[in-house]
Amino acid sequence: MSYLNQPDYVCYVCNCGSLKPISKIYFCRHCSKIRCGYCVCQEVDSHYCPNCMENLPSSEVRLKKNKCSNCFKCPCCFQTLSTRAGHVPLRVAPADGEDSKDVKTTPKKVYYLSCSLCRWTSRDAGIPDQSMATGGWPEQENPHTSRINALIDYHKILASIEKQQSERKKFRPKHPYMQIAMFRITSAMVRKHIGHPTKPTTESTDQPSPAVASTEVEELPTDIFTEPVEITKITTLEQRLQQPDVQTENVNELRPQHRQLLVRRSQRCRVCEHNLCKPDFCSQSAKFKIQLAAFYHVPEVRIVTCEPLRPGKSSELLLKFCNPTQHQTQVVLLPLDTPMTPILTIVDEKEEVKQDNAQQESESPNLLPSIVRQVPVVEETKPIRIIANADVVFPQNCLILPRRDDAAEYDDTGDTHNFQDDPKFVIWRKGNKAVIKLHVTPHENIKENNNQPVVIGFVMQYRYVNTITTLEHKAPQKLDLKVKLYLTIGNIVGSA
Amino acid sequence: MEPQDVYYSKAEYVETASGNKVSRHTVLCGSQNIVLHGKVIVQSDAIIRGDLANVRTGRYCIISKNAIIRPPFKKFSRGVAFFPLTMGDHVFVGERAVINAAIVGSYIYIGKNAVIGRRCVLKDCCYIEDGAVVPPETVIPSFTRFAGNPAKCVEDLPECTLDLMLEFTKNYYQHFLPLSA
Repeated sequence: MSYLNQPDYVCYVCNCGSLKPISKIYFCRHCSKIRCGYCVCQEVDSHYCPNCMENLPSSEVRLKKNKCSNCFKCPCCFQTLSTRAGHVPLRVAPADGEDSKDVKTTPKKVYYLSCSLCRWTSRDAGIPDQSMATGGWPEQENPHTSRINALIDYHKILASIEKQQSERKKFRPKHPYMQIAMFRITSAMVRKHIGHPTKPTTESTDQPSPAVASTEVEELPTDIFTEPVEITKITTLEQRLQQPDVQTENVNELRPQHRQLLVRRSQRCRVCEHNLCKPDFCSQSAKFKIQLAAFYHVPEVRIVTCEPLRPGKSSELLLKFCNPTQHQTQVVLLPLDTPMTPILTIVDEKEEVKQDNAQQESESPNLLPSIVRQVPVVEETKPIRIIANADVVFPQNCLILPRRDDAAEYDDTGDTHNFQDDPKFVIWRKGNKAVIKLHVTPHENIKENNNQPVVIGFVMQYRYVNTITTLEHKAPQKLDLKVKLYLTIGNIVGSA
Repeated sequence: MEPQDVYYSKAEYVETASGNKVSRHTVLCGSQNIVLHGKVIVQSDAIIRGDLANVRTGRYCIISKNAIIRPPFKKFSRGVAFFPLTMGDHVFVGERAVINAAIVGSYIYIGKNAVIGRRCVLKDCCYIEDGAVVPPETVIPSFTRFAGNPAKCVEDLPECTLDLMLEFTKNYYQHFLPLSA
């Protein structure tokens, strides 16, 4: 929770060098590496309307221009419009000879759109009321529709020509003596070089008339200088930008706009192309089909309390560790300058270790054949800007965290685990969580008044049990993984 | 950061068999229409208007001080009608927040002084920031953070929001302790 409404005190260093809180990083089980939002491929999983929650297939989305066909937003304040029902008394003209009192006015239900925030209604804009509750609203016509369509069609033709040409090139047999082909290229090149237009092809007859620049600008009407400006009747810049095709000037010309769709994203590891996060198809559910967020795989570190920090003086820092996995783990804290290469240990076979190590270094296992696969974009690791300005006394012993057990919460019998903990190191332990005590000494050169926070850094080595079975090894692997952490533990209080 | 213990005086709070902790200084109108599903904390001076329509909350809901929970109404041609207000599990309602929503899903954080307008629908895993004003009849999609007046989507929430909220409300309940005096 604190990750949502507090600054990021505990940051994990991703392999790309960026510092992220644990809630925003992923853990690729296939590469056994931490990936942040920059190291994953963000993919659009599904489109949905934020108002009616309707899921739309991507083909339909393109047709509807990323907008929901049923929901509208207010053109003034951009909130969702709701349909209101009103009554219009339908007066039937009394027939001749009949008494007008006999004819009853039959009320007819009509619907109009209204904004509950700014009280804008479709009646204000002069849009006639509808007899149906949904749909039937007049679409706003773009004044340049025909021109736009002509241009789009022309570019479609161009795209198809280009595609044909590239395909022809691809499948043309590489024949060194294809003189005709060479001639064709040269003639076209010569024509271009001279400045002659290329041979008119059949498609280019459809070319729409080119846009003509005009230097003439309509003169301002004379009353613009005499009439007082009524700001309330002129649309704001934001309102105009919400309808880019029309950009009306007057408030009464504003028309309800279709609600824009939102997307649900899925994340894919850029190196091994496995999915790291895939939401459920239903846009309403908060569940995931694949969930490899680091929060569920990497031990979480939290700051419990820290004694007042004085430069050059040792103070106690309490950290809480939580094991989110279904397997027991052991955590070792190491100094920052520890090499970060992963060490593999497999329980039964030792030969396999070397093989696997070599394979991991050369190339990560890939799902797709090499033709389809994209070349992974390897970014240079960013330098870590943050500098640790306090020394930590690293404990010698490792911290064993039992597996996560959801049922333990309802178990009142207490902990059954018997860990031989050093009471000076492990302060408290319950279930898969433990609090440890560290001693931190801020550097002497930190002053109290320049508001420089005290930052410590360490490498956390944790045992990760990988349960995915591959062809090479069926047994779950045990890996000792390392991650760098930077903790902002507070400000200096008082001087040394 | 770890949550701090919040202490309450034992005389002030009533604890039910299902673990609800309700302050005596609350205004619970029409209490026969209010269902708290267990482990719910209702703090002092909160108002729950069960007299208008049914109010149901899930487990581990926290209703902070001076919050107002009021079922929404809808205008019809003949007068108004009130609709029940349902709240899912693991919902945090901040101090002085006013909730007029029709449905509040699960794993939701509503900040201090936030106003949720009439007949809003809050989907699971969303976050309303402090002081946000959500206009009436708005739907808040999952994994979004809303802020401002009128409230707008400002950010997407991380994928693990569900467990973050679950842990937050459970921790809050565990750290809400009687003052041992």
